[in-house]
Order: sequence, then C-alpha cells, then structure tokens
Amino acid sequence: MANDREVLREIWDGRIPVCFQLDSSEVNGLQAPDPYYLMVPRLSYFPLVTDKIRRHFQRYIHPDKHDAEMWMDFNGQPLKWHYPIGVLFDLHIPEISLPWCITIHFDKFPETELLHCTSREAVESYFMSCIKEADVLKHRSQVVSNMQKKDHNQLWLGLQNDKFDQFWAVNRKLMEVGSDETFKYIPFRLYEGDEPFIQRLVKPVTEEGQRKTLLQFLQEIYAENASKVKVTTHGVEPPTDTPLQWMSEHLSYPDNFLHLCIAL
Amino acid sequence: MADNADTPAETPENEKTIETPPDRESESLPSEPPSLSGVADSPSKTNKSNKIDILLKATGNAPIMKTKKWAVDKDKKIGWIIDFIKKYLKLEPSESLFLYVNQAFAPAPDQIVRNIYDCYGSDGKLVLHYCKSQAWG
Repeated sequence: MANDREVLREIWDGRIPVCFQLDSSEVNGLQAPDPYYLMVPRLSYFPLVTDKIRRHFQRYIHPDKHDAEMWMDFNGQPLKWHYPIGVLFDLHIPEISLPWCITIHFDKFPETELLHCTSREAVESYFMSCIKEADVLKHRSQVVSNMQKKDHNQLWLGLQNDKFDQFWAVNRKLMEVGSDETFKYIPFRLYEGDEPFIQRLVKPVTEEGQRKTLLQFLQEIYAENASKVKVTTHGVEPPTDTPLQWMSEHLSYPDNFLHLCIAL
Repeated sequence: MADNADTPAETPENEKTIETPPDRESESLPSEPPSLSGVADSPSKTNKSNKIDILLKATGNAPIMKTKKWAVDKDKKIGWIIDFIKKYLKLEPSESLFLYVNQAFAPAPDQIVRNIYDCYGSDGKLVLHYCKSQAWG
C-alpha cells in the first residue's frame, strides 16, 4: 500500500499557472476580452476547471456560438480534454514559458483531433473507465468490482472537488498489493510527441523476482535505446533506479495510470 | 449515457454465445476472416502482420452480428470500430454503442487497437463486447 504520504500530497498539490486567451479571430465586436489567469491542478482535467473561463469569454463571441462546445489549443495544437492537465503540460514542456498561454475557441471544432466533451458526465465516465482498466491490470478487476457505487462516487468527487483525503480514503484500496507486495501488471501510458500513446503488459518484477527499476522497464520497451530515453512525469525526471512498483503506487495520476512523457 | 445501470444485462442467450467453442464458431465463417479495412486504405499499406482478428460479441439488447470475426489493422482507433459496428447494424447516428474490453471497461474512442491487443488480446485475437446501453459502468 502507498505509504510515502508526503509524496502523494506533493503530487496532489501540483499546480500550473495558465493564461487563457480568446482566439482573436473569434472576438465579436470592438473590444477584445482580457486574458483570464488561473492556477490549475496538474491532476485534474480541463473541463473540470474551465467553467469560469467559458463564462468570461462567452460574452465576447458571436451570439450564434454561445452554446458551441469550447475547446483549446497551445501553439496551434489542440489540447485533449481527456488527458490530465499535467500530462498535457509535460508533453509541451520544451515550448512552454510560464504562465502557460492557452487559446480558447468556440468555433471550428477540430473533429479529427479531439473527442467531444458535452458535459462533466463525459469526463466522469472516461475517468471511471480508466480506473476500471487500471484495476484489470493491477488486480484482475477484483478491487473495483467489489467496491460500492458510493466508493466510485467518492473517487470522482474527491478529484472533482480537489479533496485529497476524500479521494485517498478510497484510492488506497486500489493501491493494495498482494502477498508478494506487487501489482499483477503496472498500468502505464507512454507519450512521445504526437504519436498515439503506448500501452503494454509489464510486470513490476523481473523473472528472477526482483523489483524492476524504471531503467529495466525502459529497456523492456525501448531495448537498446533505453539509456537515451528521458522520462518526465509531474514535471520531474524520476531517477532511473526508482522501482516501478513504487512509481505506480506514488506517481500514478488519479486514474491509477502512470503517465510518462518520453523524449528520445 | 442516460442509462446508469451498473450491472451487465446478460441474457442466457448471450452467455451461450460467449461459451461457444472457438472452432465451432469459425465453422460457419469463411476460413479467412473478412477484412475490415476502410475504403481509404490502399492495399499496399495494409501489411498482414499488422492485423489482428477481433471477435465482436453482442451483450444486452444489442443485435447480434452475422459475422463476428473481423481482421483489423492494429493502427485503427476504437472509435473506428464503433462506427463500423453501428453501420453494420444499421443504427441511427444518434443511437449510442458502447464497446467493452474484458467485460470490464470501455476504452476511449481514440485509443488504438494495438494497445488494447497488446494488453488484453492473445494469439492474434481480441474479444470485444458491444452494447447499446452502458453495461459495465
């Protein structure tokens, strides 16, 4: 079970300063709106923190677009609402200077690049599906399927309302380990540039029963290129001798996946 | 999405489908599964080793597909399979279709088949359940 509580807390408290601006071509009228500044939690999702942004910019756009779905881009690259905010940030780190400047749109939704997000329920169902998938990998789905509906709600509300204790009271069950002190497989996603992320079946221990390090994990995926790989998660580069199991327990996002940004 | 049912609406009939031995199931099918490549694909680009067989199984109230086994390119997205099933079953564009892996979770429409196969498939085969209302959450 996760026990380095201070690490969990530090990860939970990660914030990013963002400057939101309306796409200038969508301004209807003479006066352009002021930018909107917000500290956003790394572990959250944009649709959970941008209600205020929508209200702020809505009155400056063409009335026909008032009910249109809002989307955003950074440097011309549409931002996927279903990736945690911290992942989106880490993916673009080399190009970002703080505050992170994001452009808001209500027009020309990029259908081929983004999924639609019509409500918070869409985020909730995506988030819960990730939790279920992670539990299939870690515990053959046994923990999550033995939970009650109220536990599922508590995970979601804990994330949505930024309540660490509420979230972890339930999430600790998802982090429980078997008698061998490990998960069956480690839920992870590897992101490299614009490519679709990589997911594989990886055990937390070697065939000899030793705990795998981050380096051994990278060797499994990238073979001889492993030593050239730079891994970033939560804005930091974990040492390559960090045990993979420990990373899964402490550095996973609330969806219970490790989201690792890769630079080769 | 309006349907919040937590439990799968399995009928005995569906269970029978799930328990059908694989060889019996393929008897009624051509030996080579039909290819599910879109029109946009040029034949030269579709490398045989890059394909896997997906087995599509109906759950709950979803109509059964006559052909269940399809060869799919690993680079395709889950959303593409969902669109294919909807077209095959002649569903209205407004009707929902949910696709489940391991009868446990619904992958995102932009997840690629390769990732799902690498984690939950084997021997060139991946079983997917489809449903017209949310089944496993």
